[in-house]
Amino acid sequence: MWKVTWRRFRRSRLAVAALIYVAAVTLIAAAAPLIAERGRLLPFDPNEVDFSSRFRPPDHLHRLGTDDLGRDVLARMIHGARVSLTVGFLATAISLVIGSLLGALAGYYRGVADWIVSRTIEVVLCFPFLFLVLGIVALFGPSLYTIMIALGLTSWTAEARYVRGEFLRIRELDFAYAARASGARDARIILRHLLPNALAPVLVSASFGVASAILTESALSFLGFGVPLPTPTWGSILLAAQQNIEYAWWLVVFPGVAIFLTVASFNIIGDRFRDALDPRAE
Amino acid sequence: MLTYVVRRLLYAVLTFFGISVAVFAMVHSVPGDPTYFFLGHSPANVPPSVIAAIKHQHHLDEPLLSQYRWWLGNLLTLDLGTSITERRPVLELIVEKLPRTFQLNLIAFLLAAAIGVPVGLWSAARSGRLSERTTAVSFFLLYSLPSFWVALLLMQAFSVRLGWLPLFGMTSDHYLELSGPGQLADRLRHLILPVITLTYAQLAIFARFSKSAVADVIRQDYITTARAKGVAPGAVLWRHAFRNALIPLITLLGLTIPYLISGSVIVEQIFQWDGIGHLYFTSILRRDYPTVLGLTVATAVVTLLASLAADLMYAAADPRVRIDDRNR
Repeated sequence: MWKVTWRRFRRSRLAVAALIYVAAVTLIAAAAPLIAERGRLLPFDPNEVDFSSRFRPPDHLHRLGTDDLGRDVLARMIHGARVSLTVGFLATAISLVIGSLLGALAGYYRGVADWIVSRTIEVVLCFPFLFLVLGIVALFGPSLYTIMIALGLTSWTAEARYVRGEFLRIRELDFAYAARASGARDARIILRHLLPNALAPVLVSASFGVASAILTESALSFLGFGVPLPTPTWGSILLAAQQNIEYAWWLVVFPGVAIFLTVASFNIIGDRFRDALDPRAE
Repeated sequence: MLTYVVRRLLYAVLTFFGISVAVFAMVHSVPGDPTYFFLGHSPANVPPSVIAAIKHQHHLDEPLLSQYRWWLGNLLTLDLGTSITERRPVLELIVEKLPRTFQLNLIAFLLAAAIGVPVGLWSAARSGRLSERTTAVSFFLLYSLPSFWVALLLMQAFSVRLGWLPLFGMTSDHYLELSGPGQLADRLRHLILPVITLTYAQLAIFARFSKSAVADVIRQDYITTARAKGVAPGAVLWRHAFRNALIPLITLLGLTIPYLISGSVIVEQIFQWDGIGHLYFTSILRRDYPTVLGLTVATAVVTLLASLAADLMYAAADPRVRIDDRNR
């Protein structure tokens, strides 16, 4: 099945480009200390303040210019990719675990379990997402962990719905009955037999989830509630840009493009993946 | 229909209880002490008598269950507490600022519908062609643009460079000296950039939603019948399919409200638009937690009512919903 899906996925050149872009950014983020630190490929520390070169436009030395404290924007952006991707992947992992678990319980046991999970989803969906995330982060103090946990706790509803739907369907299939007839315990049936078969649509929503988490993290940073300074993030560079909007165009353009391309790539991958899984499409 | 309405109302009441429990739990899971919440800062250097007074005033010295009963009772009597910084009832603040947020979002919503829905219908008719695929991809890319970045770019282009539009605010400084039409023009000029920022991302949602709604309708038997009896293809699409495809758009109304309120935090903050989102953000900055709490509950209830209204309207428009729901 995965082979067929990949063959169909590959047919979209845009989606393949997005996949390559994501792989490249992930690699750069992982290798940031090897690339963008003093004495490395890029000879600037991300937090190296230099008041003699504040607001330098891009030139041969500072490829993407410098910010209000004379820090190299390219070095900060390379390190900022670490924050964005860490939050994106880990927050999605948290929501994936919560969503899959609750969705599986609801779809497998139906009845009361389903009723409770469905009502809980309805309650969570009533809260404006950003209000909740901003509130939790403000109350518990902004840090990489609170942001990831706040995002994970508030965005599991889509995954739960997908898994519930899949479980309602596959629990009636022959292999599920066979597993039950052979006397396997519920936990084993759910985790070993059913969950792997319900994973594909969840991965689609996970891809959209990473996009949304990265977008929200950068919005939080932009609002001043992101990972605390001086840790560089894409959103916090944009915050500096807003305060100096009159002259520093490079502070606005580059981090914005980075956020946009990363978010768009995850959205495109999710979209294409969904089509590739859908037997009715094409 | 009546059973459906009653069921839906019961669920809404239940969801309301869920909301109240969730917010109550949030307050009590704050590290330290809920007193912190009503004080606005750490209770470390506050005399014990003041803390005891605050605890007593907010019933924090009672058992958890009776605290919750107080909280629920206040909610039901529309008492959302008093803002620490403004020293006014939170409800009063919300009633004052909600229309400003509503104005901005209503214009953006209508604009997004006016552009997105026709594009979605057009896309359904031309599904698979190059022009349709290009439109779909460009809308999808628009959807991925961070709104705060777009706002910054718009400000830089139209306010800083070209000087055509105001940078932020709802009116100019000299607003009161302007004539009637001048005031209207001034307000409109201040609306343009925030409305664009709120609208562009929704285009993709509207276009995609209406496209898939048409695609669903086209598979129905009565469309096949219309084709079979020789109705021209264009007429089948416009007269038979589109009218029914518009019904699901009602649900979009309920679905987009929390999304819009979320978006208003960012947009109102950047453009200094004095609405709900701006109030929420400044309250968080000032640690005015009663206001933060009141706003959280109020927006959740607004969302609940909107989705309830959307569901009931949908059921009134499409009888199949009522029956499907009963069989579920």
